[in-house]
Amino acid sequence: MSILAYNGAAIIAMKGKDCVAIAADRRFGVQAQTVSMDFDKVFEMGPHLFVGLPGLATDVQTISQRLKFRLNLYELRENRRIKPQTFMSMVSNLLYERRFGPYFVEPVIAGLDSKTNQPYIASMDLIGCPMITDDFVVSGTCSEQMYGMCESLWEPDLSPDDLFETISQALMNAFDRDALSGWGGVVYIIEKDKVTKKLLKTRMD
Amino acid sequence: MATPAFPTSFVPGPLWGNGPTPGQVYNFPGAATAPDQWGTQRTLNPSVTTTSVLAVKYKDGVVMAADMLGSYGSLARYRNCPRLQKINDKTILGCSGDYADFQFLSNIINQRVVEEECLNDGFSYTPPGLHSWLTRVMYNRRSQFNPLWNTYLVGGIHQEKPFLGYVDKIGIAYEADTIATGFGAYLALPILRDAVEKNKKMEEKQAVELIDRCMKLLFYRDARSLNKYQVAVVTKKGSEIRGPIVSEANWEIAHMVKGYE
Amino acid sequence: MEAMAMMPYQQEQTNHIERPIQHRFSPYDFNGGTVLAIAGEDFAVIASDTRLMTGFSILARDVPKTTQYTTNTVVGSCGFHGDVLTLTKVIQTRLKMFTYLHQKEMDTSSVAAMLSTVLYYRRFFPYYVYNIVAGIDTEGKGCVYSFDPVGSYERETYRAGGSASSMLQPLLDNQIGMKNQEGAKQVPLAKAKAVALVKDVFTSAAERDIHTGDAVCIHVITKQGTTKETYPLRRD
Repeated sequence: MSILAYNGAAIIAMKGKDCVAIAADRRFGVQAQTVSMDFDKVFEMGPHLFVGLPGLATDVQTISQRLKFRLNLYELRENRRIKPQTFMSMVSNLLYERRFGPYFVEPVIAGLDSKTNQPYIASMDLIGCPMITDDFVVSGTCSEQMYGMCESLWEPDLSPDDLFETISQALMNAFDRDALSGWGGVVYIIEKDKVTKKLLKTRMD
Repeated sequence: MATPAFPTSFVPGPLWGNGPTPGQVYNFPGAATAPDQWGTQRTLNPSVTTTSVLAVKYKDGVVMAADMLGSYGSLARYRNCPRLQKINDKTILGCSGDYADFQFLSNIINQRVVEEECLNDGFSYTPPGLHSWLTRVMYNRRSQFNPLWNTYLVGGIHQEKPFLGYVDKIGIAYEADTIATGFGAYLALPILRDAVEKNKKMEEKQAVELIDRCMKLLFYRDARSLNKYQVAVVTKKGSEIRGPIVSEANWEIAHMVKGYE
Repeated sequence: MEAMAMMPYQQEQTNHIERPIQHRFSPYDFNGGTVLAIAGEDFAVIASDTRLMTGFSILARDVPKTTQYTTNTVVGSCGFHGDVLTLTKVIQTRLKMFTYLHQKEMDTSSVAAMLSTVLYYRRFFPYYVYNIVAGIDTEGKGCVYSFDPVGSYERETYRAGGSASSMLQPLLDNQIGMKNQEGAKQVPLAKAKAVALVKDVFTSAAERDIHTGDAVCIHVITKQGTTKETYPLRRD
């Protein structure tokens, strides 16, 4: 089995009208055995910027720390907030530095532009090849299920409340058909003046 | 790979480079005839092969074409291998793949056609009938791990309507308006489909011209093809095989293709 | 051991021959296709796409993977098309023998039971086929049975099978099974809504799955019989 699917994860990011959302499951497991149900895979990288890291748990934590480190250096040097676009390049660079011995994570990025407040989402593969879309991105062990859900449920210009409902339903129904992810969920709704974090109570089997 | 026919601890070297060893079956270059422990032989890979067959249904019939090259690996070995066959007035058969396997099955079909005609009962093999029968033959052989290394196209007229069917070496079968096997599936099929989609009521002349153009294209781009080919046409009036036809190639611009040395 | 002793000679024979890529014979292929069935109160809907593929090539655009077996039984089969054709032929022969013997058509539940044994007969050289049976049971209710390639099966209310099954199944859980919907009541599914849902989910599947597309063939089965309609999907 792929190392990418060793611990299991499911992450989605979606665009709405003047808002974005990023959602993840909370399982940490070792192959079929579930170890904990409060594992963080989505990390705050700024007031309106989040990154989701599905993949090998050890790399998830390493990458989140190394990214935060590089981000701090950038913001100290530039004395301004990073743009999501720039942050995406930073993640891509970090991953490509290990082109022939990669970190086993396939990140998802969601945020609002620090100046214009434009929604931004992107995903990339484990060596940093980015994909920027204007609807949704998915990553993790049940990506097919997530694509199926998102492709049917998503529509343009969702309000923050509708976006929350859409991303939650997409995530929950997708990971309920995957043995390696689930066991609770977390959703961040990112708006211009607030970020809402909601925990999802889901079936735990 | 090249397993000796007789498993003994002493294996003599080949008689000459790439040649047979004493007491061994000749091994084709780049291919292995792998005798199993009971000493039977199976086609685990083809030896003398033929390339694409193209076929298209038009308003009142079917046109099919195939070139006459029998390749031996990359060697263009035989230049006169007919592989379109007239079954009866309503049915034609085209084949690509291993030429020996085609000749084997062709003999069986011919014998069955003769026996059928001897009955003189007014019945004959119909295109869907032959297609269905081929489906079973090919599927049975693949299930015994002893496939006939071919793809067959059956064309004809059935109940006043054109028929065109496909069967391959593992028993995949379907009917369609345009079919191409081998390299033709990549190079010619898009052209055939496009032409048929734009002209739903194609005339025989247009269909034959279309097929001719595709055969020339295949001669230019398929390295295992020849510019000598046959064309089979079936209509209500009967079936015929035309050719050999030689397509005139123009290599004037060939010297401009550079950068692949 | 004997084979080991021969190795040096063999290598000498084979190594300097430049071989083209060896094509080993494989008796299986995957020809794509998605099937989907939903059981309603007094009806069943079963649908399949009509694309036939091998590798990245489209062989044909109008080959439905659904076959009508009796007046009120339709089976969707996809996977390796050679096995699909053979299995279909075997089942249809068995059904013909049944009707001659018993002077009546086989019930949907019996078709399912028979399909299971026919599949298991080839347990060690399986039919590489995913089957879903849809029909009307003896009480007049809609029924769906889903199978694995070696014959294990169960009755369900909805099921997606084949290449885009993992995209469709969670959506059916949500929209028909009402999963993860707090306080939502299970209302009986209307026939028109089921057909509309089938069109929707196939359109979504064709968007992301290259093996699904061209058109979707939808059968609606009731006690009176079966109606069929085709609905276009993207063709790229």
